[in-house]
Parts: sequence; C-alpha cells; structure tokens
Amino acid sequence: MIKVSVSKTTAKGYATGQAYIVRQQEVTIDQNKITQQEVQREIYRYEDAVLKAKEELKELAKKSPIFEAHMILVEDMMLYDGVVNKIKDEFNNAEAALQRTGNEFVEMFENIDDEYMRERATDMKDVTFRIMRHLKGIPENAFLNMTKPCIVVANDLTPSEVSQMNMKFVVGLITQEGGITSHVSIIAKNMGIPCFVGVDGILEKVKSDDIIIMDALESEILIHPDEATINLYEKSAIAYSQRQQEIKRMGNLPSVTVDQRKFCLCGNVGSLEDIKQAILQPIDGIGLFRSEFLYMEKDHFPTEQEQFDAYQNAALLLEKKELIIRTLDIGGDKKLKYYEFMNEENPFLGYRAIRICLDQPEIFKTQLRAILRASAYGNIKIMFPMIISLEELYEAKRILEACKGELTKEEIDFDKDIKVGMMIETPASVFLAEDFAKEVDFFSIGTNDLTQYILAVDRGNQKIATLYNTYHPAVLRAIYHTILSGHKQGILVGMCGEFASDKKAAKLLLGMGLDEFSMSAAEVADVKYELRKTSFHKVQEMLNEVLNASSVEEVLNLIVDL
Amino acid sequence: MVKSSITVTNESGLHLRPASELTKLSHSLNSDITIIHKDQKVNPKSVLNLMSAGITKGATIEIRCEGESEIEDLQKLLAAIASGLGE
Repeated sequence: MIKVSVSKTTAKGYATGQAYIVRQQEVTIDQNKITQQEVQREIYRYEDAVLKAKEELKELAKKSPIFEAHMILVEDMMLYDGVVNKIKDEFNNAEAALQRTGNEFVEMFENIDDEYMRERATDMKDVTFRIMRHLKGIPENAFLNMTKPCIVVANDLTPSEVSQMNMKFVVGLITQEGGITSHVSIIAKNMGIPCFVGVDGILEKVKSDDIIIMDALESEILIHPDEATINLYEKSAIAYSQRQQEIKRMGNLPSVTVDQRKFCLCGNVGSLEDIKQAILQPIDGIGLFRSEFLYMEKDHFPTEQEQFDAYQNAALLLEKKELIIRTLDIGGDKKLKYYEFMNEENPFLGYRAIRICLDQPEIFKTQLRAILRASAYGNIKIMFPMIISLEELYEAKRILEACKGELTKEEIDFDKDIKVGMMIETPASVFLAEDFAKEVDFFSIGTNDLTQYILAVDRGNQKIATLYNTYHPAVLRAIYHTILSGHKQGILVGMCGEFASDKKAAKLLLGMGLDEFSMSAAEVADVKYELRKTSFHKVQEMLNEVLNASSVEEVLNLIVDL
Repeated sequence: MVKSSITVTNESGLHLRPASELTKLSHSLNSDITIIHKDQKVNPKSVLNLMSAGITKGATIEIRCEGESEIEDLQKLLAAIASGLGE
C-alpha cells in the first residue's frame, strides 16, 4: 500500500474505487505554410469549425451554464482576428494559426495575478481544443468504458471532459494540476464527492484500474490498500454519511430561541485540521482562529507566504462563513523554539501578545499582510488580543492601515472593508469598553484570561483552582458591562471562551444579549440544541436578580433551573 | 461621448461567466464601448479582451459609450453591472 498526502482538498468525505485514468487527446499539428491561393480556404475551414463547435456547445449549455460562456468564447472577435491574421499575414494553416493564438491567450490568463482568473486558462484550452477537433475531424473523447464506480485521475480536466463523463459512476476526482477554484473542484463540491487537485506526480503512481482510497479528512490517497483497510474505510464512509445527515438535519434548523431571538454559534480552532473537523458541525463560522500554531509548529517565524497559504486555505474551507483570525498571542505560557523569551517573574503579566507585536512591528506586519491578502478569499475578520489601552489599539490599527496602503500600491487584492475587533480579556478593556467600542467593529470576550485577571487567580495553579470561577459576580458584571457598552455603539459582542459552551452560562449570556457564542466545535451541536429550547425573554426577566447577586453560590442558586 | 464609473461587486470579479454576460449585452448595443481599468482600455465586445483587464471584486471601472444611443446604452451597461451580471 502506498500513501500519498495531498494539500488541496476541495470536497470532503471518503471514496474507494478503481482508478480511471484520463489521457489528454493528442493532436499533431502540421506546421506547413500555405500559399496565397489557400488563404481564403483556410479562413472558411476555420469559420466552419467554429460554427460546428458552437452547435455542439448549444446542446451542452442546456446542461451546464459554463458552456454558455464557452459559446461567447468560441466566437470571440479577438480570437477570430488572431487566427485569421496568422492565416492571412503569416500563411499559417488554420490549425497552426489556432494553436498559436490559443496558446497566446492561455499564457495571458496564466499571467493574471488572480488565482480565479488564472484558472480560466483551462476554459481557453478547452474551447481551443473543441475548435481544433472540428478542424481535424476528431470525435470527442468519449468515456464509454466507464461502467463501474471509479475515481477519475487526470492531469487536468476541462469542463468539456467532465460533461462527457457518466457522473453516476464517478465517486472521486484527482487532478495533477489545477487549483481549488477550478471547474472540477466546483463540480465535485456540488456533487459532494471528494476531490484532490494539484496532486503532483499522481499519474506516475497510479495505473488504470488500481484500487485507490481517497481520504479527504486526513488528506491522503491510499493506493493498493489491503482488504482490511478497504473494510475499515467502508465503515468510516458509512459513519461519515450518517453523521453528515444528522448535522444537516440540525444545521438546517435556524439558530433561534423559542421566542425567535437569533444567536450565532461558532467554533474555536487552533489549526487547519481543527477547521476541517469544525465544518462538520453546525457552525456559523469560526469565532476564534488561534494563529499561534503557525508559529509554534515551525523552526522560524513563518513567512508571509506560509501564513497566507494557511489563512487562504482556512477561508476557502469556510466558504464565506465568518473567520475571525486573532493575531499572534504568544508569551505567557506559550513559547517558541526559535525565539528566546527573557525569564519573567510574571509571564502572564509580561511580554506577550499585542505587546510583542507592537514592540516588533516587522513580525506583526508580516502577519497582517498575510491576513489581508487572504481576506480576498473569504469573510475574514482581524482580532487583536490583550489590549489594555486606546494607544495600543490606535497603534495596531495604524500598522494595519500601513499594510493596506502597501498592498494597494502593490495592486494586491484584499477586502478593503475588513472588520477589525478586539478581545476583551483584561480588566482595563472592560472599564474602557465604551471608548473601545467606538474604535472597533466587534468585541470578543475571552473569559479564560478575563476571569484570571479580574480575580487575580492563576488558572494553572491547582492549589487555588476552586477560586477560579467565571460565575463570580465580578466577572459576570464585567461581561454584562462589556455587552451593554458594545451594543450602545451598535457593534456585535461575542465570546470565545469555554464559558460560552457551559449550558447554563450560554443561556444566561443569551439573556445578557450576547450575539455570538464561540467554543470548541464539538460542543456546538449540544449548545445549539439547548439554546433553541430557551426563552430569551424568560432569561432576561431573571437577569437583574442574577446580576445583583453578590456571591457565586447565590448566582448558582438563581440559575439552577436554567 | 458619455462616461461613468462603477464598482464591480461580483465575488470573483469579472471572470468568465459575468464577463460573457457583459459581452453578450455589449453586442446588442450600437455604441462603441470602452472599459477602462487601471489605465488599460478594453473592448467589452470581446470577452477575451475584457478578461485580460483582470477586473476583480471591488475594482472601479470607467465605461465610455459613443454613438447615437450612447446615453441609453451607458445606462443599460451600468444597470447590468450593478445587478451583478446574472450572478
């Protein structure tokens, strides 16, 4: 058994089947020059081929709208002029003229600095080949021998090739080239079958009819698996589809309380793997993407490109759902192998998070540029951690604006209206919440740190573990004050601490008006179930009493029936 | 000649599908049409020319129409782009 790991996965799940290798149709093109007398004949031949191609596309357009666009492409005047000029002025035969002109446009697309546009080179190749086939009188590549479930393996697949396949037999797609925005990827996503693109060298490793397994959760291809592995995957596939159905049932139910108050449930994640798992849950987005993993798993500060790849991948996995990326939060208990932190008496009160970023703006800028660039691919928001003063916030925003200016100058795309928020996790940020709310687009309350700082209780110290309690009235009132201050300025207030997944706490927070609950994704389904059967108004009615309680015990007694 | 500027709102910019819609519409109009994006002038009657401008989401483009029906034609083009070109 051979394992091949892949990096670009566009649709999820498992597939097992025999490899069906698609070879590109080869054509040899005669480069002989024509004579002046033959010019008109070659132009007619080209026009005739275009007409036939158009007729074919008319039929295909009934099945997929992509071919309507191809109809416009085959008749494009620049394509026509390019070909005809090469026939008239350079005495190329029609095939050679088409090949050269087609290549010119393919090259043009490949040089556009936008992934989505670059992928359109495939459409150009497809259209050129369709006309070429008619010039040479070659029939379309028919996939007649596709008679059992198979995984299609190809260098690249054009929309035309996909339209010729009998999709009921196709259980998975693998291409050696192509990106996540290619036509194949989109089709696979719609069909809900796994699809790996850009798998280098796969055609050398797989032969026709080889049994292969695609594992889109582990991002792996298994070639020649043994019987036991096949059986194991069969079970996983069944379990996966059952789970999907469950989530679908739950996910389709709206996130509203019995009295129609809306809420938003998100996942907290610390890696791309986490995101892959999180999207299997009924989440509305990612409320906290801890970017530290990028820094902790490497042996150097991750480059802008390394970070961009990760953020872009995350954004694409989420398909336009919200993705809040928290900027680097190291220090405290999180160290890096390749960077020496000085020894501190109180690391949690020391050199950490935004303090490091503002002190070493180059590290910060690299990250902000990567996040901004990725923002062109999804619904990304930026969040600053550990803010204690407006000066810090202004400085962070100033550096962000500088990065935006650089990117604009370099003509690199990013979301110009990217939303900027901050964590509320220090007592200072709670007291200044009203001032901060005028300067940011959202708040996210980090209850783990907030509790430890308000109560001055080290959350890692077992001896005082009983003192650490987020239900402490001081913490509850701080949370409520933050929500009110945010709402006064019309901004959204979320929470990304585990307190949001405590079932009673979640209901209480709902009553306080919290907009977004972000927690470890595995908890989301349960919390959704709980909140959906809660009455917002009922919790609101008891809120005053809870907030006036002066001890943890009193609070817990009041909410015992929640 | 009349001209106006508009911002493209299509998620993936003027890629093949919306671009070909714009090309189809341009062919139905009598005016000579030019689209200007970052100093590059393109003729939207050719979808290839139009796409070569690499117009992405959020880009501001200028449209120029010249001909007897230039005012109506410009309005039709602006309305089509504002409505997302079928997306």
